[in-house]
Amino acid sequence: MFLDPRAIIMFGANALLIFLVQLVNSGISGWPVYLFILGPMVVLPALYLRHQSYFICTLCSGLWVDTTLGVPLGFFTTLFLVAGAIIFSMRLRFRAEHNYHPILLAHSVNLFLLIVLTMSAGGAYLGVMSFWIQVLTTLTCSHVALLLVAPWFFNFERQLFEICHLQTEPEDLPLL
Amino acid sequence: MGVKVFLKASFTEFQAPALVASSYLDDLEGFWARRMHSKRELEIAGQEIARAKSYYQFNAQRVDTLEAEVRRLEAILDLPSRREYRYEVARVIRRDLSAWWQHLILRKGRDYGIPEGAAVVFAGGVVGRVVEVNAFTSRVELISSPNFRMAAQFEGDPRPVVYEGLPQSGFGDPVGRVSDAAQDLVATTQEPLQLVSTHLGGTFPAGLAIGRVSWLEPGSSGIFQTGEVILDRDLLSLHEVAVLIPLNSQQSDNNVP
Repeated sequence: MFLDPRAIIMFGANALLIFLVQLVNSGISGWPVYLFILGPMVVLPALYLRHQSYFICTLCSGLWVDTTLGVPLGFFTTLFLVAGAIIFSMRLRFRAEHNYHPILLAHSVNLFLLIVLTMSAGGAYLGVMSFWIQVLTTLTCSHVALLLVAPWFFNFERQLFEICHLQTEPEDLPLL
Repeated sequence: MGVKVFLKASFTEFQAPALVASSYLDDLEGFWARRMHSKRELEIAGQEIARAKSYYQFNAQRVDTLEAEVRRLEAILDLPSRREYRYEVARVIRRDLSAWWQHLILRKGRDYGIPEGAAVVFAGGVVGRVVEVNAFTSRVELISSPNFRMAAQFEGDPRPVVYEGLPQSGFGDPVGRVSDAAQDLVATTQEPLQLVSTHLGGTFPAGLAIGRVSWLEPGSSGIFQTGEVILDRDLLSLHEVAVLIPLNSQQSDNNVP
């Protein structure tokens, strides 16, 4: 099969995650807190799917995030594909059926995305103290929230696989 | 380029119904919450609205009189006509305020004729500028956004200055920066200067409040002064805004960067 049905479920779950995160951000806009939770979107597609399905799922998720956040189209798409490709190439080393490794990967990818975004979008303000206060607050809050969100999100995706009677284990090797 | 535009439009329009539906659910929640009020509370609210209505009716009459006077003087002095606007009130359905961008999503788009680059205002003054228009939604860049710039002036002083947004710390009121202010201007905490919009940029009508400036210091060139602009805190929790749609759009010369 060219497209694994799980890729569609993962894309739907990613769309739901960004919708909920933006809903929370909109609700707490008067507070000095902003949640930046994109890391979990890349992890399971790279660990579970074959390369065609992984690519399509990550590409669509990236484009979805780009249009939601209003960044130039292709910004997060490229970063998602880069981060996903790195995880994909090393997925032999990770235990995808449990949450421990995916959570660590979600934190790492989230940190990577936040650093690249800060360097590219905030390049002109690297010397401004208020910018760094906001970035550090965002980083702290996001990763604390990610401790709760990531396990829920991965379990939610696996639960959807079960409900749809799909394979709940990662795709068999070889990788390509 | 065409593929990029197509992809952006497709993905944006595909997710717009979810945004709009959630905002209507929010409205429904508010409706049912108001239904829980007692009759006495509704009577008091009705009385307050009646008072406010009579006050605004009086003000509307006064505005009509003043506008007629302005038109008469313009005709005597043979001045060119000023730019006229239509106010389109829109509900804010998303607020996305981060260190990298400061955006609002409005529940009106091309379906209400909102153009890209239009000015957005609220009771406290300038909100920002429309940067993206979709079929049913539009995205507004707030004046506190680091990417926002506009021409401005101090109240009572016709010399133009430059206002620009800054990255926000998230703690305290939102702030911006004013530059190119003349050396003779003095701002203190006791007597802050009021920064208002000017018609020079083409997007905003003159005289809309932007914020207040409590101090000015010499800029890097030494010729002009720069200072911090304290913006209205309500910018962070807006629910309704008004989009200014130019009536003579053929002559539009917006200053979108």
